[in-house]
Amino acid sequence: MSRGQGPTTTGRAVLFALPAVFPVVAVLGVSLAAAVLQSLGLMPFIGPPSFSVEAWTGNTGELVRATGLSLNIAATATVLSVCIGFLIAAYVLASPRMGWIVGALSAATIPIPHLIGAGAIGLLLSDSGFLERVLGMPAAFPALVGGPWWIAAITEYAWKESAFVALVVLGSIARSVGDLCDAAATLGATARQRVFRVVLPLAMPSLAVSALIVFVYTLGSYEPVWLLGPTSPEPLPVRAVRLFGSVDLTARPEAMASALVSVAVGAGVILIGILVVRRSREFR
Amino acid sequence: MPRLPAPVSPRRRAALYTAASALALLLTSCSGATVGQVKSFESFDEVRAEAEGQTVDLWMYGGDEQGNAYVDDVLAPAAREQGVILRRVPVADTQDAVNRVLSERQAGRDDGSVDLVWVNGANFSTGRQAEVWRCGWTDLLPNMEYTDREDPLILSDFGTPVDGCEAPWHKAQFTFFYDSEAIADPPTSLAGILEWATANPGRFTYPAPPDFTGSVFLREVLLSAAGGADQVPLEYSEEAFDEHAPAALQALSEVAPSLWREGSTYPRDEQALNTLFANDEVDIAMTYGPATLTDLVAAGALPESTKVLTLDEGTVGNASFLAIPANAADAAGAMIVANIALSPEQQAAKADPAIWGQFAVLDTELLTPAQQDQFELLPESPIVPDYAELSRNAHGELAADWVPALSEAWRQDVASDR
Repeated sequence: MSRGQGPTTTGRAVLFALPAVFPVVAVLGVSLAAAVLQSLGLMPFIGPPSFSVEAWTGNTGELVRATGLSLNIAATATVLSVCIGFLIAAYVLASPRMGWIVGALSAATIPIPHLIGAGAIGLLLSDSGFLERVLGMPAAFPALVGGPWWIAAITEYAWKESAFVALVVLGSIARSVGDLCDAAATLGATARQRVFRVVLPLAMPSLAVSALIVFVYTLGSYEPVWLLGPTSPEPLPVRAVRLFGSVDLTARPEAMASALVSVAVGAGVILIGILVVRRSREFR
Repeated sequence: MPRLPAPVSPRRRAALYTAASALALLLTSCSGATVGQVKSFESFDEVRAEAEGQTVDLWMYGGDEQGNAYVDDVLAPAAREQGVILRRVPVADTQDAVNRVLSERQAGRDDGSVDLVWVNGANFSTGRQAEVWRCGWTDLLPNMEYTDREDPLILSDFGTPVDGCEAPWHKAQFTFFYDSEAIADPPTSLAGILEWATANPGRFTYPAPPDFTGSVFLREVLLSAAGGADQVPLEYSEEAFDEHAPAALQALSEVAPSLWREGSTYPRDEQALNTLFANDEVDIAMTYGPATLTDLVAAGALPESTKVLTLDEGTVGNASFLAIPANAADAAGAMIVANIALSPEQQAAKADPAIWGQFAVLDTELLTPAQQDQFELLPESPIVPDYAELSRNAHGELAADWVPALSEAWRQDVASDR
């Protein structure tokens, strides 16, 4: 933030931002407020409103388990996406001709909706799916879809989100990295050294930001974990949607509590991420 | 350099106040909403007059291809002849439609986008609790005369009195089916099925409740474990639940290690179970829509060796209905559609296995001989026996309150266990 600007400039800036900011804040604010009210029993479908924290405290164990599971899935998917995404970006930069094809393939992955991606991964990895038929090993095929390690769901995230990470990284460093790599090569740096000493530090800020986005997205994402995960335990979004659609109208507050926990965790992660990015030297 | 928070300028404060008050306004406009008076009709002619030109949105489960085709190709043209445009809105689960009605009512909308819902059981009772259905309109429908007024399946829906809040559409019978190539000597009772599952590890599973089919299976196990359908009171009470549920949950926990994937996970819904069955991963599957089996086998989605498994003690049967939300924008048109759907011509067409194969809700004895012929001329399915045989020894559904209670207990005791 720069200082020394007069109050008029700030005022005008606020005014200009208002048309964009107001709808977002209003929609988010209203829906979050409604969710909080519903979770506290103050906006019931039937009967008079009565304040209760039952939805938050009634089944804390399950809520905590769901949160832990969601964090685990999101963290694993983020780490994988960032690593694979960076490798894709480095490859595209290193070998322009083949890299162009890889880059185009990554870009083509982005518009595929997660639901379709999850369906495709399901067809590929399920017990009697494409891969199993190609390999022809029914007995030994591991439980990837619906298995205890959420492998299919995490694979889906890693596939889609690594393409996103690669594109963000490429977009942010493609201009500056060429000359620096050339200079390093002239000074005798090996390909490996160029990737880890030149490309990686340059890519750090965009990696960090895209990692944050991927983490928060996968934390709140519903379709892949619902389609490819086991029945139990449930991540937060699956639990929230199941309870939201429950025929038991009194389950609605619990659904809202689950959804709000994922909002709070997401917001917390964003805050911490922003602080880390701002503090750390590498990212400036 | 340390960053200092900038003091809030008066202007910004004013902007904050504006935003806050706008938010408050939005919030208050959402709460305390009530639906206006429901316009009632005196006669069906009045309904006809009002319905002319209306577009009716029928919200229904969209996962049944034959059902979708029947509504689009048979029911909708018939409605158009009577001046009503019928639009099918597919939903993944009927709960989505009920949720939409609830949310619109909470937002105070009088011109609801849901005009007609294919519904029964727990969703109907949830809607009745929340008073979202229009009631007392089915007596207006001329075609109600073909139904048996004393038929318990039509009088009450999972123990909830129908009270004219929904018009009957079809009857259904919960049915197991098996792969006759894999099983030469199939079990003949539910307890037998569970024993078979234990003896043949990995070859049986059921959809995870709260899926519709999965929770029916849960209730069937409850009745079987209690020693028969007449042992469990239809009315839900905590005492009855505590008395009967533990045995069922224990039976399911005991069989779990022998299920597909050792019971560590379950298929999501009936379609997922059918996929397992078609891929030869399990040998017994189940459905509340046995009518669809004929078509699924003919289309190759299920193997040719698929056979229906009837149980000695019978299975549960129910009727499903068409309900109109109290805030429906085109209620009159919806009544016209519900009336057409009840006509002998439509019920007979719908009962044809090549079209949909849903069992009729009409009492054939009340029909004219010509109308009766329409039903007698229906082709027989090579796989599904007729309704009379399927529904032998059938029992009714437990009250709707059993459904969420059992699903929740199953999730706690059986699913999280492994």
